[in-house]
This record gives sequence, structure tokens and C-alpha cells, in this order.
Amino acid sequence: MKKITLLICLIASCFFTVAQTTVDCSLGAVNTTYCYTNDDLTSFVFVSSDGSDLVVTFNSGQVENEYDELIILDTNGSQIYNGYGNNGDLSGLTFQSSGDTITVSINSDFAINCTDNGYTQWDFDVSCATCANPSVTYNIVNDCDNSGGFFIDIDITDIGSATSLTVSDNQGSATQATAATILQFGPYTNSTDVIISIQNDQDINCTVNSGSITQVDCSEPPGTTFTTSTVSTSGSQRAAVDMNGDFLDDVVSITNSNINIFYQESSGGLSTSATNIVTTTADNIPSWSLAAADYDRNGYTDLLYGGQNGVTFMRANNNGTAFTEISGSQYVFSQRSNFVDLNQDGNLDAFVCHDVDPNVYYMNDGSGNLTFNQGGLGDDEAGGNYGSIWIDYDNDRDMDMFIAKCRGGATTININEMHENDGSGNFTEVASTLGLADPIQTWSSAWGDFDNDGDMDVFVGASSTANGTHKLMRNNGNSTFTDVTSTSGILPAFTNTGHENATYDFDNDGNLDIASNGSILFGNGDLTFTVHDNMLGITNGSFGDMNNDGFIDAILGTNLYTNDTNSNNWVKITTTGVASNINGIGARVELHTASGVQIRDVRSGEGFRYMSTLNTHFGIGTETEITNLIIYWPSGTIDNIMNPAINTHHIITEGQALSVEDETLFQNITIHPNPVGNLMNIDSPVNLIGKIATIFNIEGKRMMNLKLEENKIDVSSLRQGNYILRLESNGKVHTQKFIKQ
Amino acid sequence: MIYTLRKLASIAILSAMLFSCADDNDPTTTPISMDDDDYVPIPTSPVVLEMDNFPFDTLSEYNFFDGELKEQNPVLGVIPYEPISALFTDYAKKKRFIWMPSDVEATYAADTELIDMPVGTFLIKTFYYNNVQPDNNTRIIETRLMLKKNTGWEFADYVWNDDQTEATFDLNGSFTNVDFMENGTPKSTNYRIPSDAECLTCHKSQNNPIPIGVKPQNLNSMYDYVDGTKNQLQKLIDEGYLEDNLPATINTVVKWSDETQPIDLRVRSYIDINCAHCHQELSHCDYRPVRFAFNESSDETNIGICVDPDTEIPGMRNIVTPALKERSVMYYRMNSEAEEFRMPLLGRSIIHEEAVQMIGEWIDGLTNECD
Repeated sequence: MKKITLLICLIASCFFTVAQTTVDCSLGAVNTTYCYTNDDLTSFVFVSSDGSDLVVTFNSGQVENEYDELIILDTNGSQIYNGYGNNGDLSGLTFQSSGDTITVSINSDFAINCTDNGYTQWDFDVSCATCANPSVTYNIVNDCDNSGGFFIDIDITDIGSATSLTVSDNQGSATQATAATILQFGPYTNSTDVIISIQNDQDINCTVNSGSITQVDCSEPPGTTFTTSTVSTSGSQRAAVDMNGDFLDDVVSITNSNINIFYQESSGGLSTSATNIVTTTADNIPSWSLAAADYDRNGYTDLLYGGQNGVTFMRANNNGTAFTEISGSQYVFSQRSNFVDLNQDGNLDAFVCHDVDPNVYYMNDGSGNLTFNQGGLGDDEAGGNYGSIWIDYDNDRDMDMFIAKCRGGATTININEMHENDGSGNFTEVASTLGLADPIQTWSSAWGDFDNDGDMDVFVGASSTANGTHKLMRNNGNSTFTDVTSTSGILPAFTNTGHENATYDFDNDGNLDIASNGSILFGNGDLTFTVHDNMLGITNGSFGDMNNDGFIDAILGTNLYTNDTNSNNWVKITTTGVASNINGIGARVELHTASGVQIRDVRSGEGFRYMSTLNTHFGIGTETEITNLIIYWPSGTIDNIMNPAINTHHIITEGQALSVEDETLFQNITIHPNPVGNLMNIDSPVNLIGKIATIFNIEGKRMMNLKLEENKIDVSSLRQGNYILRLESNGKVHTQKFIKQ
Repeated sequence: MIYTLRKLASIAILSAMLFSCADDNDPTTTPISMDDDDYVPIPTSPVVLEMDNFPFDTLSEYNFFDGELKEQNPVLGVIPYEPISALFTDYAKKKRFIWMPSDVEATYAADTELIDMPVGTFLIKTFYYNNVQPDNNTRIIETRLMLKKNTGWEFADYVWNDDQTEATFDLNGSFTNVDFMENGTPKSTNYRIPSDAECLTCHKSQNNPIPIGVKPQNLNSMYDYVDGTKNQLQKLIDEGYLEDNLPATINTVVKWSDETQPIDLRVRSYIDINCAHCHQELSHCDYRPVRFAFNESSDETNIGICVDPDTEIPGMRNIVTPALKERSVMYYRMNSEAEEFRMPLLGRSIIHEEAVQMIGEWIDGLTNECD
């Protein structure tokens, strides 16, 4: 609308401020600063003295993203640019004319402007395009421990057409560079506004300046930062997940009749254009959530749309080029949705939170047919179910489900729930005995082992503080949780509320972080966090590794937040199930390094609305070796991969590195009686309490799974026949046959 | 057990006629004695109330209407009413009726609260469209009922057949497409017929089902009845449906579309009937900071002026950002059709253009300075 207005103004030559400046090619760049106001249509017109083309370089500056446009016009009046830079940040933008004139304009609307809202004013240079500018990036280096201030690293990646450059700051330092190099200037006192100038010694027109660079204070800098760029997603952006079986995260956006995918290319990074797949007009769209997994095991990812009045599945065909819609007729006010194997038959089922009714789930018969069910997994008649997440909170090798709940005018419907899996697909609600039955009005929770002690802790993020605020709960490893919020550093620093909470290691330091509504709570590995606001978009978005560099990126709408990375090491794992579901959802992944053990649960659907990568990601800090990687598959299979390479994306197929029998671990174990009646007794010289016992039938299918609380197992649920008992500890196993009478 | 309670409405009508000059609050005004020797048959309401058999399979079984069902001509004792400002449901038109058994009446609680209706009360609300395309005819979609039982209010919904001859019980929820002309403009909706869970989402306090509109503040207005124009509350009193003890003045909403009224009253009246069922104490979303009931919304913070939203939306600042509708969450949500953003949460799938314009004018006219 506003763009049209400007065009009409141009055509009609309606009045607005125009200033014309001559750029003298023998004197170098002309610098201009400007701070725009409301309804501002100011234009700066530059003409070169000798007919040379002109280059505009923004050193710094800001516009209101999506409302006030920067417009650059070429010599012939055609538009070179009309946009908002990097989410409103103009620094680093450069434009070149084809001809001797270039015009720089603002087109602001009636509200929010540079003058009234404290924006960084425009600071741009216009120079004659007689030479190629050097390419430079700047990084602040914290020197709090020594000088109490900071350095600036000046990374000259290309000196352009110069043979030598003069690099100087506005504090009196200068040096020369004759090739690509990294220079360090400083130290500077905190809050000093430093501007770095880089001058082509052979051509005065090729000078580039940094915007103002400073470190405000010595509070801990974030472990990593993100650079935003635009991906022209079309529809509602919902997922960062591999769609086409190359295990690289793609970006998925949805409308009621389109699945729009930016595939990640094998060379790294998203394709420049989207692949649009037209679908039937879906009965439901993923307004409330999207979940993704290959539930029909054909190698291509299927989608679940959680809509306001029902659930639609979009099933990918055998080459991922088309989708078949399967819409249920049942009324479901969907909230968070997940794919998970509920009955451990190796097929992915789907779970959907219901806002105003008991939760629903869809059982997969193994032929891709889904059957609607309601009841047994959160049966509050009035619902209140917002954020389901599947984790193994009690380390007994099955998926439990925590539900973040929310409801006004209620005393029970808003109480969070934990549905504990007994290993046979039976669930019991146990939140109150765990200490997790909170009334916090919450739409999602972030689970992870924040202190790397081997069990999953939880951050329950408040959507409203009306019934209590954010809460961090430490898993004590004995089916109790302790409120550690007060010592966590989260409050009072963290003031966001909202729907979205998720767990990743964004800085790859080996300590899990929490992304909460655009802020990142950087974990210190001891259940304390350092809060950094405005790191990501305000509702987090989808997480994945969109450029395959081993650092977690985010996408929200059309904004890609690319992790700026650091020197930390990492490893990524794709879990490909064989007896288990093909995505390995529900697998527990354990990573052992000299620093200790980290754990992850493979899951589809965390946070509230978005779908994030199905790959499992670990940061390992400065560790350069991984001792081993253990995968406990939902089928009961255990793979133990010795010394996997770091900084590598490993594709692990279930059963490729089976754990070996350990003769010494469980020596002299006997079962009696054998044949067994209803109760199996295990005699063992070593303590078995807390060890995982799994019973397989003779075909190798997992029949029972439990964490031993005594040296006995109730096997009354087993039919007559031959079985195998397996005992497991730290990835090592002992197996023994027995007969059930 | 089947029994039919007969409405002695004629008594009330008769007494109203006979004593129309008398002081309504005069306690000496008594109905005609039933054991009068000169017995004349008293017309009785034919409405069928069988609380144990609620809900019936079809709408016609209740006998709410005379003649052709689709004409919705109420039988004796079924009284039409209309709130001064009404809930928007995709431009559907509505007919509303109330019925009570003969020997009971509702009592006044407060201007802002539901009249306290007796067991056996039916509330009847039919949703229909005029100028439905391509034939430009009238189409009745559904008739919703609420019945007050000993255990509380219960819902029923009756979906009309294509022939418009009968409506059948259905609380499973469904959609139906309607193309219609609204003020000369073609519009289209995938109209949502609610399920019982959706009924409860709006119609509840804590988790108990309740009506919404039947409050003195919404009914203190004139209505054109078949037999003349009358104040709706007075009509209920005269019918014997409401105890005759109303206060002298009632704090009353305005008709939101009445441009002669102050815009803040129009806005507050609109958001009361459209939004307050979720945004007041003990309601679905009472954990959000806003309070939209008519008696609460004169407070600037309650109505969201300068209030930060719990849930941020890109580009928005406050729930109501003075002078900036484009940066106001309230305006954004009312002006959106996307399920995840639009408000009200239920009952609307297309934009109420006229109301959005009013909200925009109101916000743009605000001059408050936010901190």
C-alpha cells in the first residue's frame, strides 16, 4: 500500500524533500547521516562528478521492520532496493548504480520513527565506483578479565582492488594491511563508540567504515549469536525438518492447499527457491501445531496439521513429490501434536493435545492406517492441554509424557500432568507424586539434562504469571523433582512470557540452553543460566541445522536466524530405526566424553506450535574425542558406537553396532524357577536394583521393559513360551533364555 | 415419566391489562384467583418440557413454534428477546426466545449478571441467513437450546434440514458453507456449527455451563412484540417470568452500531457481549490481564490501554496502543481470520468489518500516554 503511494508520488511529482549532492570522485566518499520522522519521504540524490557509477554503503542505521522502507533508486529511476535490511538493521547494505546517479530514500508511515524511538540513525557513504571495496567483518572480543574493556577483531577477508589498506579507528590507532588478515584493535574502555575505517590507499573512493561498535559492560556475553536473513517462505512457516530423506533439515511452510519446502542442498544451506507441492484443500491447517515423521516408513516425511476443529495428516508419496490428505471427522481443538510409538509395535502413532476435551491419539496399524482414539492420556473433560512432550523422565527406557496445561477459571484443569509409561504402553498420571503438578498457566515446557547428571530436568515456561511464574525443576533421579528456580539465575532477569519453550545447546558448550520466546537462557551446566534477550524471533520458531555446520539455527516466518558459531565441537546423529520406528523417535541417546555423559531423547514435537529437527544434536565444548555413543532404541535394541568422529553428522542404523555381551558385568546370574510361573526370581551376586530388564520373545520383539526395584519380575502378563531376559547397564548387556509356563 | 407443565401466561397478560395503571411495585397487586367459580378455559402454553428426556431428537417435539417450523412463530409463553448489542457470528442473523414453566420466575441479581432463571427455563436461539446465494433466499442453519435443570444448564443443538422443515439434534460439531449478501456485499463463510465442548468453552463460569446474554444490562430496551412495543424487562415481568423488583435505574449497554452514542460506550458494549465471556474472572481466559465486562471495562488497564500482551505478536506493542490501531493487539486479532490469531477464539471465522472499523476509530482517537 505504502509502496504504491510512493510510486504515485513519484509519478505525480508530489512534493517531498529532495537534496542533491555531487560526489567528487577525486575527493572520495560523501558521508550522510539522517534520522527519519513520521510520514517521511525524504530522498537524497547523489551524482558523480565524472560520470562514474556510484556505490552506497550503509555503515549503520535502522528502519521499523515491515513498516518503514529504505528505497534505493538507480540512475534511470528504477528501483534497486525496497526493504528493511536485516529485520530493520541496515548496516552492511551496499548498492551500486548503473550510471552517475543514485537516490537513497526513506518511506516511513505515520508511526514509529528514528527520532522518537531512539533508533540508530542512518550513516551511509556514497562513493564513486572506481574500485572494489574491501570485505570486512567485525567481532567484539571480551577483555573483561584483563583491561576490563574490549578488543575489536577486524577480519579483512578481501582487500578488494587495493594493494594496501590503511586501517584506523576513531581513537587514534592506525595500521596497514596488504592482504586478507585479521587485525585486533584495542583494548577500549567499555561503552566507547568505536568506528573502524578501512581506506584503499590507491583509490580514495574505496573507503569502508564500520558502524559504531561497542561493548556496553562486562556482563557475560552470549555463547553464540545469530545473524538474520530472509527466506521467502510462502504460507505459515511451521517446520525445520528433513522432508526428502537426505537427513538435512529443510524449511516447511503450509497453506490449506500448499506445502512449500526450501530443501537444504547437499552443499550446505537452503536452496534459493522453494519447491511448492500443491495438495488437496486441507480440512484443517496447522494453525495450532505441526508435527512431522515418516509414519508410513517410505523414506519421506509425513506431516500432521493440528487445526482448530480437527486433525489432518498429509502423507508423502514414495518420492516425496506429492501428499495425500487424510482428515479425521472428529472435532479436535488441537494444540501441541507429536509423533511417538505409543504401543511399542515399531509404528509411529500420533498424539494431539485437545484444548477443550480429553486428548486424542491415532494408532498406526503398520500399514499406514490411523485409527482415532480418545481417552487414557489426559482425560480432563474440559481439556486444558497445551504443550505435550515425550521424554523418558525416569530412565526406564520408555516414553513418558508431560503436559503443560492452562485454563482460566479453573482449579484442576490447569494442573500440569505427567503420564508415566510402565513399559507395556500403560500410562499412569503421576505429576503430584513427582512434585510437577503445578497450576502455572503454561503452553509448553523445555526438558533436558541441564546439569548433565543423567536425567531430564524441566523448565516450565509461564504463558501468564497469573497463577505462578516460570519454574525450573531438578530431576533428583528418584522420581522426585526439586524447585531450583531461585538459584538458577533465571528470575528476575527473565521477564518474557509466551507459548514457546525448547531445549538445545546453541553454543555447543556441552551444556543445554533454553530458548524461550526469543530469549536464550544459556546453560552453565549446573542448573544456572545466563539470560540473553532478543536472540531469536519473539516466538522462537523451528530449530534445526539449516546450513549443516553443526550449530543450531532457527527459522521463524521469513526470518532465518543463522548461528554465528564458535570454536566448540559437536556431533549430530540421525537415528534410523529398523525394528523401531524409522525416525528412532523415543530413542535415548547417550554421549560419553571425558567431560561426562550427555543425554537426549529423540522426539517429534516440542515447544508449542513449531516442528524442529528430528536429528539429535550435541555440543561437546572443547572435547576432541567421544568415548562412545549409546543408542537405546524403542525396540529394545542397544547400539554402542565406539569413538565416533567429532564435528560429524552420523547416520546410525538400528543394530549397526550392537552392544556386546559383558561376561563380567552380570556374572553368575541365575533365574528361578525355570520354567517360570507368574514371578521370576533373579539371583545375582551384583546389585540389580535400578538396572533395566527387558524381555524379548523368541522373534526378538520387545515384550516387557522395566527398571528393577527388586530382584523379581512379575511376568504374569506373558503368554506361555520361550523368552529372553536381558539385563543392561551402561550399554553393556547380559542375556538369558527362560520358559514361561 | 412424561408430564407437561402448562403455562398460565394468560393470567399475567390479563393482569397486566387490567392493572396497567397500577404501580408495578404495589404488593397489593395480586393475580386473579384460580378458584373463581366462573371457570373459563385458560389458554396454556403447549411447550413440552420433559427434563428427563432432554434433549429430544427433533426441534419440533418441543412445540416452541406454531404453524410451519421455519416461520418460528412462537407459541403462547415463548417470548422473543434481543440483546441490545449482539454477539457476532459470521453475520448470521438470530432469533431468540425464552420460556419458563408456569409457576416459577427468574429473579434479578445485578445489572451485569444473568437473571437467576428457574429450573425448566428454555433459552432458544436460531441462527439463519437472509439473501443466501444463488437463490437469494433465507436459510436457517441451527437452533441452539439451553435448558436449566436441577443440576444446572444443559446444551442442545438442532441442525436444520435442506427442506427447512425440521431440525435434528447434533452436538458433534460440523461445518456448512454459506454464500450470502450482506448489505449488498457478497460474503462467504464456512459456518461452524458447534460441538458441546465448544458450547462450554464460551458458556461457562469455572466449569459450570451458563447463558451469556440474559442480563438486565443487555435487555433494558424497547422491543416490537406482536402486540406492541415494550421494554423487554417489563415484558418478562408482565409475563410472570421475572420478579418485579428491578432497581429504578439499570446501567445499560448501548447498541454498538448506534453512531449517536459515545464511541467508548459503543466499544465497551461490543466487547462485553463478544469478548467478556472469556475475559472476566472465572472464565476460560481469566489468566490474561484484560477484563472486558461492561462494568469493568471503563478502567483503562482492564480494557488493555497501554497494557503489554502476555503473547507478543510481531509489530504489535500494547493490547490497545493509543492512537495506533496498527500496533494494537486487540485490533490485530479482531482484524485477522487466522485461527491462531483471531479473536474471539470461537464463533467467528470471517472479519466483522463494521466492528473492526469502530475499534480502529476508537483506538486512533485515544490520546493516553503510555509509560
